Amino acid sequence: MIEKNVSYNSFQKKIVPYLDGSLSKEETAEFEAFVLTHPEFEAKIKEKRDELETIRAMIPAGLLTKESQESMESEMRTSIYNLIKEEPRGFMDTVRIKWEDFLNN
Amino acid sequence: MKRKDLFHLVAPLSERLYRFAFGLIPDDLQAEQLVIDGFNAYLLKEGKILSKKEIDLNSKKEVQLFRRAAFKGILRHVGDIGVRRSLQLTEQMRLTVPKDFVPYYSLEPKVRMVMGLRYDAQFTVDEIEEITLMPRYEVIEKIHNGRFLLLNDLNKAVNA
Repeated sequence: MIEKNVSYNSFQKKIVPYLDGSLSKEETAEFEAFVLTHPEFEAKIKEKRDELETIRAMIPAGLLTKESQESMESEMRTSIYNLIKEEPRGFMDTVRIKWEDFLNN
Repeated sequence: MKRKDLFHLVAPLSERLYRFAFGLIPDDLQAEQLVIDGFNAYLLKEGKILSKKEIDLNSKKEVQLFRRAAFKGILRHVGDIGVRRSLQLTEQMRLTVPKDFVPYYSLEPKVRMVMGLRYDAQFTVDEIEEITLMPRYEVIEKIHNGRFLLLNDLNKAVNA
């Protein structure tokens, strides 16, 4: 009986790490096997899962307006053209790269 | 890789990058600037590798893998710059924090960064370790602290 309680408690402590993804592969497999053999454990997992959902709701989800997204992507494009050097593969490629540089500067 | 291909690969990340940046600095313009600065730092660091990298744009798997790796790489810089900037802007941030998220923004910037990566972007602890370059114990500690402080705050609000 004591042994059963010890194992029950140790698995209970692993619920959050399991939901967090911080258990190792072996521990995850062991935990899932334990849950399969102890269906009543599901309720405890659900309780913790709800708690984590509450936490998720407390984290802001910043949304971009369409204009801001366009302006940000345009800045990203400019950065790429300014900071990345493309190696030309032949004459036509050199012309293309020069033309793109001209358009983006 | 052609520059236009690189742009098409990274442009869809802009929304999620902004969301992460906004979790660090609750100000539209500052968060946008943070994404651009983080992206520039990423390009400066990885530019040479990126220009030599070849990706089969028709392969969904390759595109997904590249995008995921680029996302993590950019997040590393956005997070790094964001944490420092957030510490500098503490006073200014008090004015722009959305009312519903005061408990979240009262967490330390590093804790917010890890919480955002774990609970919003849904990265695993291993991935967070890879992104932030923090040791595993520190990542777990920050997740634990963040969760404890947020729930504590919620309980206080319920009991008040």
